[in-house]
Amino acid sequence: MDKKMEEELKEAFPMADNVDWNEVYQRIIYRYSTPHGLQHVKEELYKLEDKGEIIVHHIKPYNNPVKMQTLNGSPKIIPTTKLWQHKSCGQCGHIPGYPTSVFWMMNKMEIDYMDEPHQTSCTGWNYHASGASNPVALAGVYVRNMWRAYEIDYFPLIHCGTSFGHYKEIRNMLVLHKEIRDKLRPIMRKMDMDIVIPEEVVHYSEWLYTMSKKAAQQKKYDLSGIRAAVHTPCHVYKLVPEDTIYDPEVFQGRRPAAPSGTAQNFGAKLVDYSTWWDCCGFGFRHILTEREFSRSFALFKKVIPAVEEGKADIFVTSDTGCVTTLDKSQWAGKAHGFNYNLPVLADAQFAAIAMGADPYTIAQVHWHATDVEGFMRKIGVNVDDYKEKFIQYLADLREGKAEPEYLYKPHRKIDFYLSVPERVKWYKGDKAQVPNTSK
Amino acid sequence: MAQAKSILQLPDDPRFLDMAYDVQGAVPEEERNLLSNLSPQDRETAIKFWQAVKSDFRYNEYLRGCLNCGVCTSGCPAAKFYDFGPREMIQYMMRDEVDKIWEFTNKKVWACVQCYTCSMRCPFNNEIAGLIMLLREYSVQFALPSAKEILAPYRRVLYTVLTMGNQVTPDMIQPDSFPDWGPQAVEESKNMDVYRKAIPVDLMQRTDIGWHPSLQTAVEMMTIMIESGVMDSLRGVDKDLYDMIMDIYEDRKSQLEEIKEKWQKGELDENELPDSWLDL
Repeated sequence: MDKKMEEELKEAFPMADNVDWNEVYQRIIYRYSTPHGLQHVKEELYKLEDKGEIIVHHIKPYNNPVKMQTLNGSPKIIPTTKLWQHKSCGQCGHIPGYPTSVFWMMNKMEIDYMDEPHQTSCTGWNYHASGASNPVALAGVYVRNMWRAYEIDYFPLIHCGTSFGHYKEIRNMLVLHKEIRDKLRPIMRKMDMDIVIPEEVVHYSEWLYTMSKKAAQQKKYDLSGIRAAVHTPCHVYKLVPEDTIYDPEVFQGRRPAAPSGTAQNFGAKLVDYSTWWDCCGFGFRHILTEREFSRSFALFKKVIPAVEEGKADIFVTSDTGCVTTLDKSQWAGKAHGFNYNLPVLADAQFAAIAMGADPYTIAQVHWHATDVEGFMRKIGVNVDDYKEKFIQYLADLREGKAEPEYLYKPHRKIDFYLSVPERVKWYKGDKAQVPNTSK
Repeated sequence: MAQAKSILQLPDDPRFLDMAYDVQGAVPEEERNLLSNLSPQDRETAIKFWQAVKSDFRYNEYLRGCLNCGVCTSGCPAAKFYDFGPREMIQYMMRDEVDKIWEFTNKKVWACVQCYTCSMRCPFNNEIAGLIMLLREYSVQFALPSAKEILAPYRRVLYTVLTMGNQVTPDMIQPDSFPDWGPQAVEESKNMDVYRKAIPVDLMQRTDIGWHPSLQTAVEMMTIMIESGVMDSLRGVDKDLYDMIMDIYEDRKSQLEEIKEKWQKGELDENELPDSWLDL
């Protein structure tokens, strides 16, 4: 190195000779590593499996796995079939067209799945809202649900964004903390279960994005005239950020691949707005008991920027709370002269409608408060016909003239009481594979 | 590369590498803010509370240091609406400020919307929203009056989640309690039963539950809640609700055992079972 450069370096970094560089490295490593010095928690997961401490539910070749990329470039395997539907309590309660759109698309693409009464919610909404839970309880709820999927060898697909984020966190906690496993094990044994952890925690929006190019081949309507603003749910990508899929094709890999990529692959034009990063205003307890916050935040920080800056025709998102908050918070604005009516749909509903699903019986858009019908007219859906048929169907149901229609074979009575391990044979017949029996 | 091994040997508590505060102490202006105005009784509880939080296994993992840069608060949705900011909390925690943490827990901690924006943005990788959850979790465990007040309107939700594993029910959307959701929600609530019947999945056709869980699932879920101590902490916050849930648990458990026994012996006639155990 020439002398001049040495002098300049000295001037630029006057304390360089006196610094304990080892200490600096330590600080840097501590800041940017996980607390346990692991690249990914899966390293430890497999070690625990080898030691026989836990059971790992592996993704098998018959799950038709597809390799995707996460934030830091490490791979994430997305199983695309033989899936166990981990439903969302908020979706089933208030946006029923959300899960039914997922089921409908799976039927259409001939995906094998199981939807069962042997599932509870993740209780994450309750935890984040009330604090009335603890790590062992949260882990217990997670493992119990995962066991039900494991025993019939269907890989869990998580519908709710909060369940997804929350389960990633709980999975990490279970893997990294022996004391939690030790407290949990006797509780699980009481129920004849053991600690089972799936290899990946997979959100349905990741599955949908992975499948979206194939699904879009069955598209019935042209979405090229549609400007879609996307809200990516916080718990999907801010909670355990390193475990969410990104793709260079979507915002150059700078924003999560789903659901933006899904809207893009279905032919809609993605529009940007300055508050894309902000939360929707759901707040967990706020949406239930302090809605003045949710209403104001959703309207002023999300809907208005999406309409005014992005000139959006539709808001596409991929979580229970976000659909609810963004959809239900616009009407109240009228009281103060804010007349916004931006249609809000989950990516699953958006895709299903584009693929020709009945907007009422399948996408159940009548549960939405915003102008989804306006959006459907824009893409050419014959809304009036569908609506007339649906109103007739409702009247027939009320008078007992029609029987409810189902997306899959309704459950046996015993399934509403007990979870019988061989249940899958009854639903799938000869197609059923032998369930996991090892404990 | 020869150095790699020694690099990973972390100091006992590297947070102090970044905090001159511990060495320098508070400047006079700060001291004024730090004076305690709590009653001796409150202070005692505050100290116990803070010790419990600090001794939780997650505390050291979640709090890793603080630059006081304010990135957390600048991106915080709740900070735009309430007198609340995560930076403030982290600073109190770093400085072991019992009184301030107590005040924060009672007045501000419930404003957080749990979006985890702060956690993702923090240059120190602090799990800030997780620290907030620690404060909330322990304020329920300590049955603090502020937690009781917050949970009072939340009672029905707690009942549903702890007995059936669903957070919300379709029929909770009543015109009186959700008028701000607009006329469509009112229409749904008036004709809820027929709208639910028109959902093409049998599990989702009831008005009193998002999806119909099996009896075994509900009992297992309650077992987890009891065995893990969630019910014990609920007893302090809402004794009536605790009693009610425990009664329900006993009933359902014996009902399940009876059915299970019959099934195992092959004596169960499925047709004799009521359509739904929820109606029993």
